[in-house]
Amino acid sequence: MKLRSSQLYAFCSIFAGIALWQIGYMLLARSYLFEAFAINLFLSSPVGVAQSFVELLGTGELLTHSYASFIAFSYGYLLAVAVGIPLGVLMATIKKVNYYLDPWVSSIYATPRVALAPVIIIWFGLGIFSKALIVFLGAVFPILLNTYTGIKSVRENLIEVVEAFGGSTMQVFFKVMVPDAIPAIITGLRLAVGRAVIGVVVAEWFGTEAGLGYMVYDYSMVFQPAPVFVGIVVLIAFGHLAFVILERIQRWISPWYQFQLEKEVEGMGLE
Amino acid sequence: MATESSGSKLIVRNLTKAFRRQRDNRVIKVFDGISLDVHPSEFVCLVGPSGCGKTTLLRILNGLIPYDSGEIFLDGNSVIKPGVDKGFVFQDSSLLPWRTVTDNVILGLEIQGADKKVARERAQKFIDLVGLKGFETHYPYELSGGMQQRVNLARALIVDPEILLMDEPFASLDAQTREIMQSELLKMWVQAKKTVIFVTHQIEEAIYLADRVVVFSARPTKIREIVKIQISRPRPLSVKRTKDFLDYTDQIWEIIQEEVLKSMGREVEERGVVR
Ligand SMILES: Nc1ncnc2c1ncn2[C@@H]1O[C@H](COP(=O)(O)OP(=O)(O)O)[C@@H](O)[C@H]1O
Ligand SMILES: [Mg+2]
Repeated sequence: MKLRSSQLYAFCSIFAGIALWQIGYMLLARSYLFEAFAINLFLSSPVGVAQSFVELLGTGELLTHSYASFIAFSYGYLLAVAVGIPLGVLMATIKKVNYYLDPWVSSIYATPRVALAPVIIIWFGLGIFSKALIVFLGAVFPILLNTYTGIKSVRENLIEVVEAFGGSTMQVFFKVMVPDAIPAIITGLRLAVGRAVIGVVVAEWFGTEAGLGYMVYDYSMVFQPAPVFVGIVVLIAFGHLAFVILERIQRWISPWYQFQLEKEVEGMGLE
Repeated sequence: MATESSGSKLIVRNLTKAFRRQRDNRVIKVFDGISLDVHPSEFVCLVGPSGCGKTTLLRILNGLIPYDSGEIFLDGNSVIKPGVDKGFVFQDSSLLPWRTVTDNVILGLEIQGADKKVARERAQKFIDLVGLKGFETHYPYELSGGMQQRVNLARALIVDPEILLMDEPFASLDAQTREIMQSELLKMWVQAKKTVIFVTHQIEEAIYLADRVVVFSARPTKIREIVKIQISRPRPLSVKRTKDFLDYTDQIWEIIQEEVLKSMGREVEERGVVR
């Protein structure tokens, strides 16, 4: 892979940030403040986090928690995909469905769904089901709404092309609507990753016994900042990785879309 | 099913069509009884003020939208529904951006249920015909406007339609590309011997291409005049500078000018602006 200059800048920026953190921590460690405020209970350094990472990896603790979180993420996310895409399509294509469901979708979307987590756990207990459900609630809306907009904004003139050749409704759907909506749907999938990760962490805060969210919460309660940061870094890395992979898939499936975006930006005179 | 047997490829009789505009529920009368006969293999151009219903007429002829009253016969057959007996060449950017040139060209065959592999083989002939050999696997966004319209044309020709309906296909091309496309279209037309209904807002383009130029009035639209273009074929591009050609241009230009002025007056009226 060729590194673009923008990627190089991003890499340098991140590296500089970490270096600054390390230096700052070391300076702080020499000052009297460090002892006075017991800063080592609240803050760790990049080197400390790295050491802790190796340790947690060695004991198998990190893998166990990561695995538990990953399972909850996967169930919830896949459920969100399985519900969000078909529902988005139905709402965009059948008016009646939209009339019935829109009030529900709009109002649930407007609630802070994190607030529902305790209720869900009361109802369904501490198991994987509750976790997956909380993840699902976070992830389903970006998928549903982007699918809806994607289908709604399919270009009329392309539909007409298929109709002019005598194409059926089904042919219009599969030959025009689906491919034209795919970039928007993938955008929804990308946004949903972040929401799902939040869902996992929140679900695990409410007293499960495994998962990265649990690990972060647990170590913060006993004032060990290094493992806390390990958990956070792993969560960030996972979210980012999933996001980037989906971006790649988007470029690969719809190379024309990138071009169209660039052209629109040009049209707006931004570049 | 009504039928009609005469020498004509296409017969339009007393066609009327009105739209109800959604914005204010106002009824817009587009066609106020138009009649037209088109002979087999004839090249007919439609010109008229913008908004007079040229695109609407093509849509009706293709069966994409219904008409209110009157009769239409294609090959003596009065049932007009979308299908591959008509080839529609749209204005610009009507190619499916996620399909390669070849896969865009085979769209009509695919909709008919043809085998994709067979269709792709057949596509080669039409890709060659429109001069796009070597671009089979390119995507529309990798092509110039002129090349995109060549694909558009190949896509309409491959289904071997009875009639070609073309809606300002060269409108967005630059002047040179447009001229090249015009002369190549004529060459293809001579080979394929299709009946063509070609909409344009360029009088010069209409005269160069057509056997007859149909001039529409402003809305409610009637046929103002049908001008027979008696310029011998084949027509080199230089024919555009001959006196005959320029006389035709003047003649049609005058009619259109009158109609455009009328339609501007109407627009003011419709918007409720009082002067
Ligand atoms: N689907 C529609 N609904 C309402 N009005 C329409 C519709 N399609 C076209 N019209 C109106 O019919 C008139 C003719 O349109 P059109 O055929 O596109 O004109 P032209 O192609 O000659 O410029 C215009 O006034 C346009 O606003
Ligand atoms: Mg038009």
